[in-house]
Amino acid sequence: MPDDEDPFERLKNLPPRGHHALLGIYSVDDGPDWVELACPFAPGFMMDPETELVSSGPVVSLVDAAAGAAIIARTRQWLPMATLDLHIDYLRPAKAGQTLHARATCYHVTRKVAFTRCDVHDGDAASPIAFATASFFFTDES
Amino acid sequence: MIARTPYAQMLGIQGMTAEPGTVELMMPATPQLEGRTGFLYGGVIASLLELACLEALALGPIETVRRPKPINMSFDFLRGGLMVDSYAQARLSRIGRRVVNADAICWQTDREKPIATGRMHLLLD
Repeated sequence: MPDDEDPFERLKNLPPRGHHALLGIYSVDDGPDWVELACPFAPGFMMDPETELVSSGPVVSLVDAAAGAAIIARTRQWLPMATLDLHIDYLRPAKAGQTLHARATCYHVTRKVAFTRCDVHDGDAASPIAFATASFFFTDES
Repeated sequence: MIARTPYAQMLGIQGMTAEPGTVELMMPATPQLEGRTGFLYGGVIASLLELACLEALALGPIETVRRPKPINMSFDFLRGGLMVDSYAQARLSRIGRRVVNADAICWQTDREKPIATGRMHLLLD
């Protein structure tokens, strides 16, 4: 099958739009059931510029994007889906100015539900800033 | 207060006084907040819930020397978010000596039909 017909390759080659474009999310690497996305720091990520406190909002958005992409990497199908739930542990604050990296793995899929987990760091994978799990529901109309 | 932070401004969030002592956050839909076509991005809805929890804490009775640290947060997505105005409000469900529990709801046209809920633990230092 040529690459351009594979749903995951098609996803990777799509120009970013919507919130992905606002955050500048881009693809770093991927495997058979995982995806690593990244998002460059922007001044709009700050909660408090004086204390250099970075909002965790962009982290959650990056996790959501990586988890969805990991499901397509594993299933090689682009099924309409909705996030059911997401849980995120904040291990330490992100540092201002650092690019965020999220590596999500889709570790199980059933006919209707996909389960993912995700590690987030800001430059050093050995020093993560967050860990998240998220499950998704395939919303086909049948 | 939260609405003045750079991140809330990036999302276009405004604070609105509902009843005395409480604040609702309002987020108008813009193309920059869209996920799949016609729907708000899930991460943006989560961020709105998180900011609502931080707002509730900022307005709450706790005087902290340092800023509270988020420990973790759980989100349930109940309905697809449409490209219309979204609202969120949070309350502190428990205020402990070291840990605060906050929960938040996000709705659009009907407060009785939330599109998402969130629960957050924060550490007081």
